Amino acid sequence: MPLLSGLTAAALVVVVALPFAFIALQAIFPEIGAGSFVRPFAHLGAVLKSEDFGIETRNTLMLGAGVVLASSVIAVPLAGLRALYRLPGALLWDVVFLVPFMIPPYIATLGWILTLQPAGYLQQLTGVNLAGFLFSFPGIVVVMALHSFPVVYFAASRSFATIGARFSDVSRVFGAGPGRAFWRITLPLATPALAASLLLVFAMSIEEYGTPAVLGARFGFDVLVTGIDGSLSDWPIDLPKAALLSLALIVLALLAFALQRRIATARDFDVVGGKNPRAPTRSLGIWQAPVLALFGLVAFISTGLPLLAILATALSRTISGGLAPNNIDLSHFEAILSDTTGAMQAMANSFSLGLIAALVAGVFGIAVAYVTTRGAGRGQRVIDALAMLPNAAPGVVVALGLILLWNQPALPVTPYNTMWILVLAYVCILLPQPVRYTVAAFQQINPSLEAAARISGASPMRTALRIWVPLIAPSVLAAMLLVFTVAARELVASLLVAPVGTDTIGTYIWRQFDQGSVGDGMAMAFLAIIATTLIPLALLGGLRRFERKA
Amino acid sequence: MKPTLRTGLLALALGISGAAAHADITVYTAGPAGLAKALAADFTKESGIKVNLFQATTGKVMARLKAEQANPQADIVISASWATATSFADQGLLLPYTSPNAATVPDFLKSDSYVAEGVAALAIAWNPKSGTNKPTDWADLAKPEYKSLVTMPDPAQSGSAFELVAGLDAAGHDDLFPALAANGMLVAGANKAALTPVLQGAKAAVFGAVDYIAMGAKAKGESIDVVFPTSGTVVAPRPMMILKSTKQADEAKKFIDFVLSDKGQEDVAKVYLMPARTDVEALRPTITELKLLPQSSDAYAKRGEILADFSKSFGH
Repeated sequence: MPLLSGLTAAALVVVVALPFAFIALQAIFPEIGAGSFVRPFAHLGAVLKSEDFGIETRNTLMLGAGVVLASSVIAVPLAGLRALYRLPGALLWDVVFLVPFMIPPYIATLGWILTLQPAGYLQQLTGVNLAGFLFSFPGIVVVMALHSFPVVYFAASRSFATIGARFSDVSRVFGAGPGRAFWRITLPLATPALAASLLLVFAMSIEEYGTPAVLGARFGFDVLVTGIDGSLSDWPIDLPKAALLSLALIVLALLAFALQRRIATARDFDVVGGKNPRAPTRSLGIWQAPVLALFGLVAFISTGLPLLAILATALSRTISGGLAPNNIDLSHFEAILSDTTGAMQAMANSFSLGLIAALVAGVFGIAVAYVTTRGAGRGQRVIDALAMLPNAAPGVVVALGLILLWNQPALPVTPYNTMWILVLAYVCILLPQPVRYTVAAFQQINPSLEAAARISGASPMRTALRIWVPLIAPSVLAAMLLVFTVAARELVASLLVAPVGTDTIGTYIWRQFDQGSVGDGMAMAFLAIIATTLIPLALLGGLRRFERKA
Repeated sequence: MKPTLRTGLLALALGISGAAAHADITVYTAGPAGLAKALAADFTKESGIKVNLFQATTGKVMARLKAEQANPQADIVISASWATATSFADQGLLLPYTSPNAATVPDFLKSDSYVAEGVAALAIAWNPKSGTNKPTDWADLAKPEYKSLVTMPDPAQSGSAFELVAGLDAAGHDDLFPALAANGMLVAGANKAALTPVLQGAKAAVFGAVDYIAMGAKAKGESIDVVFPTSGTVVAPRPMMILKSTKQADEAKKFIDFVLSDKGQEDVAKVYLMPARTDVEALRPTITELKLLPQSSDAYAKRGEILADFSKSFGH
């Protein structure tokens, strides 16, 4: 145990603490990039006092809270229905709700703009446009929630399924209706998983760049991340200001993290004990058709519409040609598949990087979760906080920290300017996902299971293999899928730290949007979404068999 | 791979001198990616020297350079903003070099440490299918006909849009931006972000479009026309420079020579940029054929002030 704690802590220091330490140094010492410690704190006063800083902080909080609220409104009812009732095509809906997460947010946002703006696809088809809604605060919140609600859906439905109907059945016996039983029993028991997933959504929303940058710019809605990107992109580059704004963002996320931890540890949520009959799910009865319609509607808006917009753009010879039969051709797909522009290489890069990052982050996540839930002492809280830290920082900041750290001339070996810097970046940015998921799984395992195994004479290794692994494997695998998906399409950090001459899916698409062809970019996006959906699909099939065996 | 300390040590251990073979060079360049790749491939074909490319926006290129200051990785930087080159020169970061091929590059497109790769101009990009009349001058876009139908790249994000704002201010068109703001002009994003809504028809025209991007879109069949305003415009030369920290100065110089060679300048012309050399044919109107606004000499010193005035017009 101490050895595992020590190793985990050491690895966290290298992967997370050091890059963030360099960001903190950059915030304090403006010339650290050149290796100098002159003029400390020269920027602090000006940045904190500026009017923009207050507005950006307020907008960031509003956005995070709005997306959390909207995501739970969409996801919790769906998750409850999925977990507690016999839903026709349950696994299919799971797959469908994975797709919004496969669609890179910047692509989905562009899809929404092409659909809803004046003269957009919706207007071409129906004569109305929803530009007024799209370019507004509720518009940003809804677009972002449609992307992030699957995080809540999967965490909540898994947790509801584990809790099952046993507990709420007790309340039903005492006369509570189904709604009341869900609100008072099932939902509170799912608190750790819900709080963890909502925290992820909050952190994802406050560090999301693409959507606020594109939509927010249209009506002057600035958040901290767009402020950070501005100081990193607008001449003259202001690294210290970017670092300071990042620290502010990190503080916000740590506060949310503290709140989530308080909620999740306030009570005892053990629901997995020695006797765990998987309660049979109920029939939906006459509600089957309306429930299916609800699932269909959410799936169409969150998955169908963005995918159709992407496909329509990818199949349009020109954008100005619009949705017309004579404007349809396959030239954009030909350009991608014939690989004249390096698209296939970019896809291969991203998929192998995503796979490596998922494996590393998965193992890492188990170690951190084990140490923090089963360990004792002050160290575990530090480890937990360190593993959470990257969630608080936008990718561009992690990238900045990685460059400052790994490009030091004194280092004898460095991953900088190799593919490994991208693995480091992805693991750092995405580590919170396996940690959150695995911690929530561990929290639901009653320690008496472990004690029982040990009393029966099982070695610690055997206990781990026979008790924990089967119980946490579904959560860990789900988290690794998430890491794979997000890493495979990561944009902002990749853009800054990718070794020279290396393209990933994200950077390739971005280059097409920036100065190439939007159609080529959308064709690549479409193929990448299909591939990132099919790969986890195969894995999910395996997961299902594994679950059945366990 | 770029020679790092590791490969350096390896070379030492093996007793090989660096001069035995051509070292690779690393080029950080602002878009367009197609041009950067073509130049690199043609250069490698001609010289045998491999080029490692990092291509991003000018902003991201500068951010990476700044973060790498402790241990610079790039040998050559190509930017889309002339101001970055003057600023790098002032900071003493550049290696002085005048290519023999730069003889026919006009004086205002070169100095002793940087030289233009090619030149873009700013223009109005107008969608003929927008149902509006073709604009002829900047001020036309403030007319009611174009109410809420005009976009403009954000001058804080786009270096070329900034040059246009500075140029129009210097030429005494101060009243233009409040009028455009009152007419509902949308200022958001960088160059391409301003163009895409015009292509789809959500907007009718871009005020201050980078001309070669719009010409490239037109060549691909998009419904877009490039209009050079009658009262004049500004040009945005794209400077290339060798960083003083380079360990491959000879190879880097060869690359600059190549970009300014006939072949290199043809590659530049192919993406509808004006070649830096006056004796290489362009596929589009060149500086001599365009009416230019008077140059504002102190624009960069007043950058903050100009941008603040600009955003005040738009009520931010």
